[in-house]
Amino acid sequence: MSDAAFGAIAFVTLLTIIVGARGIRVARTPDDFMVAARQVPPGLNAAAISGEYLSAASFLGIAGLVVSQGLGSLWYSVGYTAGYLVLLLLVAAPLRRFGAYTIPDFADGRLGSAALRRATTALVLVIGWFYLLPQMKGAGITLQWVLGTPYWVGVATLGIVVSANIAMGGMKGITFVQCFQYWLKLCAIGIPALVLLFAAGHESTRNLMPDRQPVFARATVVRITEPTEFTLGRAATVTVTGLLDNRQFRHQAVRLCACRHVAGPGTRAGFGAGAPVPTSLAMAPSAQLPWDSPLLATGTNGAHPLVATYGVIIATFFGAIGLPHILVRFYTNPDGEAARRTTLIVVLLLSTFYVFPAILAVLARLRAPELYLSGDSDSIVLALPSLLMPGVGGQLLAALAAAGAFAAFLSTSSGLLVSVAGALSHDFMNGGVTSFRWCAVAAGVVATGAALPVGRFSLGLLVGWAFAIAASSFCPLIVLGIWWRQLTRAGACAGIVVGGGACLAAIVATMAGAAARGWSAVLLGQPAIWTVPLAFGVMIVVSLLTQRTVPGSVEQVMLRMHLPEKVSAVSPGGRPPGTARYPRRSPP
Amino acid sequence: MDADETGRPARQLVVWRPDQVPAQHDVPGPGDLRDGTTTGRLLIRSLMRAQLGLSLMCLAVALTVTASFPVIAAMVPAVGRITVAGLPLTLVVLGFALYPVLFAVGWFYHRQARQLETRFTELVDPPRPEDPAAGRPGPDV
Repeated sequence: MSDAAFGAIAFVTLLTIIVGARGIRVARTPDDFMVAARQVPPGLNAAAISGEYLSAASFLGIAGLVVSQGLGSLWYSVGYTAGYLVLLLLVAAPLRRFGAYTIPDFADGRLGSAALRRATTALVLVIGWFYLLPQMKGAGITLQWVLGTPYWVGVATLGIVVSANIAMGGMKGITFVQCFQYWLKLCAIGIPALVLLFAAGHESTRNLMPDRQPVFARATVVRITEPTEFTLGRAATVTVTGLLDNRQFRHQAVRLCACRHVAGPGTRAGFGAGAPVPTSLAMAPSAQLPWDSPLLATGTNGAHPLVATYGVIIATFFGAIGLPHILVRFYTNPDGEAARRTTLIVVLLLSTFYVFPAILAVLARLRAPELYLSGDSDSIVLALPSLLMPGVGGQLLAALAAAGAFAAFLSTSSGLLVSVAGALSHDFMNGGVTSFRWCAVAAGVVATGAALPVGRFSLGLLVGWAFAIAASSFCPLIVLGIWWRQLTRAGACAGIVVGGGACLAAIVATMAGAAARGWSAVLLGQPAIWTVPLAFGVMIVVSLLTQRTVPGSVEQVMLRMHLPEKVSAVSPGGRPPGTARYPRRSPP
Repeated sequence: MDADETGRPARQLVVWRPDQVPAQHDVPGPGDLRDGTTTGRLLIRSLMRAQLGLSLMCLAVALTVTASFPVIAAMVPAVGRITVAGLPLTLVVLGFALYPVLFAVGWFYHRQARQLETRFTELVDPPRPEDPAAGRPGPDV
């Protein structure tokens, strides 16, 4: 199995490097490096945006979360799609007409403040690195699963490939790579999902029924590779070979109570048809919510699920606007109208993709409930094909899924690294091509180092947090910057510092294990529900208090953002102040 | 085009570029927008208000449709036990049914926003017969 999967991963990686390297000959100016100089038509651009957006969390994380936590986790995939709808409704066309590459460019051009520029750059780095961590973790567990290498090998491989590729090719190569990778990812998740769905047939849907513990549809022997603590929903008789509850068994029938058990490595447990499925404690199943509840649980006891659900909805719906690697793609649209069309196509492409993780998760629960013992829910998409389809077919599907997963890490981390390196080189270096290359390498090294200790957090949770920070800092800045004339520098600064800072502090506290239960667990674990309104509120109140400092250029900037391009020759041309960073070269 | 049969004086070709026309206070035009006159400011404000109104209306529809589901399910537990063709309602709604709604809202918004901009363009910068590119309707999706 590992040969086919390894071949597929190596193929995707090599193809990415080759296509990226072809961009070197074309990319000469920093403009070319960043955004392929506004030459991308909407269909291609939408596929590239989707390719960049569909990350490890979408490819592996959602199916894993749904299997372990329940159907409520599908709010993540709905939210990731709805984020683009919100982006289309509120910012797509004006943001394109404004013509900024990055969020610091937007902040500087709209409000003209060096302090604000530094604050936004710092936040771009925070969000970018936060979002890079789950990609690195995904690469680590994928290579671990495919090749059996230690976790750090996958993390380091991804870090090296992506940093080197960006340092060489920049965005020109990346646009085509990203577009290719959307279709690769769609095939890599769609084909296994559909094949397995038809192969599995419409058998018993017992495990889907409300308020039911999952049961084995047929007699199954479960092999436990690592020491595992698990629980059983009700008592069952199991044929055990190996170490269980500190006793050695040799193919003996054992009556297990409905309580906690410990299995040693290498233990094999045979369950009869209809026996309850054991659940690994590492899956952290929610004690309060049934699996098919439309609500989401956070923390180990899943308190206040309604609040947690709305926390995720707010973070994902409003987070996409503030992601640092998305804005740069809007610059590549020819005009505001094209930006809207691109975004609409993105909504369509994302909707198509997100149907499949749900199908895979349901298949896993129905037909391969032994996955509940595996402990790491994030590898379900990779493990499912060979469990459901023994033989060559399953191996090929597993190889395809592994290749798609690697494509997901490559494309998202490339886009993020371009943004992080761009922010570093614009605002802390001289902004030339050479410094951009060095910054790409440096940012890659930092992300790789930081990804090593995050292995215990689920992919979906990590990405959800990156969205929460973006929603409570950049979302209010961009939305109010576009629609509200009275926004001031002080208001914008205060809003992103208070909102982003509060959100980051809550997440760091959760990661450190500060609050495990009750209200504090929900409000710190899903902070967007209070930090997004807080950021908007602070930004508005401080702006109203400092009305004398509204920038004089506000009317001109509003005109530039909202006037259709068809109205001829109105704006004085060029970019708004603060964004003219590069001398434009005339095309050859 | 010299003289015509009816004896009226010959027409003259006038070179006219909108960026050279000063702001006129009887007919609003691109000059008002460029010079930031009161009329120009009112024009762009009205466009922004119309666009924002459309956006917020679409946002309200999308949020109501999607975000009402958790509250309904939490208040009426029976909703969580409904099955559709053997599948739990939660799976049908969150897994499949919400996506067409999101796309439909986006599609409606895209059309309406384009129409708003076309109407605004025709108002302030009417198509000129000598310029075949002007006044052409926007491309379809």
